[in-house]
Amino acid sequence: MAELILEAQDVEFEYPDGTKALKGVSLSIEKGKKIAILGSNGAGKSTLFLHFNGILRPKRGMVRFAGQDVRYNHSSLMELRKKVGIVFQDPDSQLFSASVLQEISFGPLNLGLTEEQVLQRVQQAMAATGITELQDKPTHALSYGQKKRVSIADILAMEPMVIICDEPTAWLDPKHTIQVMELLNGISRQGTTVILSTHDVDIAYSWADYIFVMSDGRVVGEGIPERVFQDEGLLRQADLAQPWLVEIYHEFKQQGWLAKGVPVPRTKGELLELLKRDTPGQALVVSG
Amino acid sequence: MFSIDQYAYSNRMRAVHPGERFAFAILTMVICLAFPSTVTQLAILLLMAGVVILWAGIPFRFYLKLMSLPFSFLVVGVVTIAVSLSRNPEPTLQGITVWGVTIGVTDQDLRVAVELFFKSLGAVSCLYFLSLTTPVLEIIAVLKKLRIPVLFIELMSLVYRFIFVLMETADRIYTAQSSRCGYATIKNSYLSMGQLASNLFIKSYHRSRMLFTALESRCYTGELKVLEPHYTVSKVNILIIVVIDLALVVLALNTGGGFVG
Repeated sequence: MAELILEAQDVEFEYPDGTKALKGVSLSIEKGKKIAILGSNGAGKSTLFLHFNGILRPKRGMVRFAGQDVRYNHSSLMELRKKVGIVFQDPDSQLFSASVLQEISFGPLNLGLTEEQVLQRVQQAMAATGITELQDKPTHALSYGQKKRVSIADILAMEPMVIICDEPTAWLDPKHTIQVMELLNGISRQGTTVILSTHDVDIAYSWADYIFVMSDGRVVGEGIPERVFQDEGLLRQADLAQPWLVEIYHEFKQQGWLAKGVPVPRTKGELLELLKRDTPGQALVVSG
Repeated sequence: MFSIDQYAYSNRMRAVHPGERFAFAILTMVICLAFPSTVTQLAILLLMAGVVILWAGIPFRFYLKLMSLPFSFLVVGVVTIAVSLSRNPEPTLQGITVWGVTIGVTDQDLRVAVELFFKSLGAVSCLYFLSLTTPVLEIIAVLKKLRIPVLFIELMSLVYRFIFVLMETADRIYTAQSSRCGYATIKNSYLSMGQLASNLFIKSYHRSRMLFTALESRCYTGELKVLEPHYTVSKVNILIIVVIDLALVVLALNTGGGFVG
């Protein structure tokens, strides 16, 4: 069995105002995977994330990191936050410094590294996120997409084992969405476990290795993307749409344009490839 | 207001050590305030304008516009000092008498007013030099070197960062309100402005909570530790500062006749 990096077991959490945000969440996340957590607003994704690095403490249940129960004393929490980093949704609530370089240096400095090590990490993180040329600009002069990348560099510079991104593509235009997703792919290739939450089923479908679906404070479904997105009952329960690729795939299959037993394509390229293969020598006829 | 901030980041003096700019501005301002020499104050006014426009590359028109702000305040201020109203005028008061009231100026008042005018304008030009050439971040770095308490410095940097976030939020609320006729009448305007203010307060509070959470998740333990930038000290620049300020002191001693008591 693969090594588990983060686990939640029957986690329940209630905010002081009485809102029950988590109602018994159980999930296990494998090390090194690309994980997407899907769910509508208020499903409890962000609350769950805050449990993963010990900002919130479950009212009932357990959170485990690398097989060990999370403990809530100061030194254990510092150790956990070193290894699990969260990129928050709104960069304006995360970036506290008006200097890009100083902003990114905050995390690694808290890890007790020397100044040279910190500078090196900051430069690496800036290079990886493509913001090196922004380092002399004040934070408030950056565009939203640039701030987003700074907020990712913030966490990257701490070199955590797990990076959690809360809605990393919210409010981004298509070009910057692709950039951020490529960046997350790059981080994943380095061996870091990447967890993100999103409403965007198309992104989740093409990008993730494994998907959890949350609804009303619970995990209501999980599995590889191909399976999760063909479960229409689950999607309806969680107020999610089907990715366009899956929809088209079913439509094409019904029309007989795709052979039976052809697996669901994960990307546009795969779909086009399937169409070419299954209709040799005959052009698609669109009735109209 | 925000163009000052932009110029501070983009002007041609950015490469100069911020400590040198800081020292130049503060020393010159002290000279300007300490000596009662109008000639020196005029010299400082011209010197700062020259440095800001020619060296830092701030557009002349923008600088003129900035200087016109304190200028108009000062004119109103010094006129009240220079002009006296009296029913029993002293013999030194020169002016016109209408219905038994004399409006006029005395020699001494006039001198005080002129001196105050140039002294204030000179000091303002020193501060303008600092704020147009030195971003707040660099001023904070200098203050840190001067061992100003950490709490003060952290507050200053957070305030500076969040002024812009706050302005942006206020701007967004304002746009949303005016697109629904929130400022169509005077009454609406008062109402909308009140809602804007209270909303801004709630949003800021919420944002501060979020910020704290975000800092905590990056191992925040009560001190905002960040990398300090390194600047290279230039001996030539220090020499220039010393020569200029000494020259100003000599000029002041020769034209003003000593310190103001």
